[in-house]
Amino acid sequence: MGDHSVSVESMRLCVAIGLVFLLNSGFANEVMGRKYFNEFLGHVHKNPARDSASLTIVQCQHSVKLLSNESTPEGWAYVQVGEDKGYIELRFLSTNRPPCFQEKYPKFYQTFNLDLSEMYFWGKLSDHYLQGRTQAK
Amino acid sequence: MNRWIYSLLIQLLFLSQVMGQTETMEESEKDLLNYSNIKSVLKNDGLVEEKKKKEQIVKEIKKEKQKINISRYDFPNEDDFWLQISEYWLVKNAQLLRWDFPKPEYGIDSAFKNLLENFGFYNKHYKILIVNSPKVTHLGLPAGKDRYIFVISLPFMRTMDLTKVDISLLLLEDMLRLEKDYLKNNLDQKTDFLGSNFYGKEAPKKELIMKFLGGYDEIIFSKGFNFQQQFEVTKQMDSYLKSDPALWGAYFNLLKKIDRLIKNDLLYKDYLKIYPSPELQMQWLSPKKKVI
Repeated sequence: MGDHSVSVESMRLCVAIGLVFLLNSGFANEVMGRKYFNEFLGHVHKNPARDSASLTIVQCQHSVKLLSNESTPEGWAYVQVGEDKGYIELRFLSTNRPPCFQEKYPKFYQTFNLDLSEMYFWGKLSDHYLQGRTQAK
Repeated sequence: MNRWIYSLLIQLLFLSQVMGQTETMEESEKDLLNYSNIKSVLKNDGLVEEKKKKEQIVKEIKKEKQKINISRYDFPNEDDFWLQISEYWLVKNAQLLRWDFPKPEYGIDSAFKNLLENFGFYNKHYKILIVNSPKVTHLGLPAGKDRYIFVISLPFMRTMDLTKVDISLLLLEDMLRLEKDYLKNNLDQKTDFLGSNFYGKEAPKKELIMKFLGGYDEIIFSKGFNFQQQFEVTKQMDSYLKSDPALWGAYFNLLKKIDRLIKNDLLYKDYLKIYPSPELQMQWLSPKKKVI
């Protein structure tokens, strides 16, 4: 009977250690730094794909936490915004605080009085654009 | 006797002191309150200078704060305004134009980049939005200096079986229209407020923005561009493409295809209202026959 209880105890300990290990290695992502969202409005995606579902909307200059995630494909960043963890394309993130319409013209921006649906679509625009720039002379 | 003389001398001394007193109590108090007495000390310590400097700094800070507060009421400059209005028009027409749909990489952006660079259009920023509706076939929207937003319809591209070169030529045509400010000019809206400030004045209302969007609707869906504007764009395309006969031929064939489409497909019957007219464009491009 005594031996049995010892083995249950040791099993519990093993499970607890295993959980802590899992949390450290797999589930909990290390914070790699912070970056600023540089488009007028955008989305944090559930998966690293432009058409993937939106977890939340982010505004220009919003600071996002960069999280480590080995499975993140090239060109994407795994981020945390508030409680949401998801993906944003790297080209929409800047190291320095970007200039934003909302910040440059705060009172005029209020005139737009955007509703949620408009914010959603405005955020989707940058996902759908094919963007390019010809060489500078 | 000696003692008497001594007390008399003391009394005389006291009397002379009392008689010789020149300042009253009030006068000495006034002296105490008169800072001029310590002015020189303060001056030597540099405290007056320091006080002046601090007052100047506070004044400057207040001035800057006021400046910042006033700048919050700035109207956007031309570049920022047109980009914002053009994107807002796309947002407002998201359901109508149906651009929020999954799409593969068509390679249009790189083909267009090559075309622009071939003709020496450097440092141009462009955004291309593919829409899943025939409501708009192709279109350029203003987005600031050297910045363009293009809209191109997937059903239009498919129906016409357009190549990447064809699409790039259409976008170049749209870009030339934007360079000439045709859409902005056709809007017929006052833009003198751009770059100004409305601090202490009546705040702009949403109607102002809606007027611009209404103007966009009118031009994009019904009014379009006039013959003169079309002539100028076609002639400009001609002069650019003449140096590359293959591209010139592709452009001419493209106009031929569009002309055929709008004459046979009811879905695109309104094309002529917006871009008059492919048939005329071909005539303007064709070399004039010499009469001998």
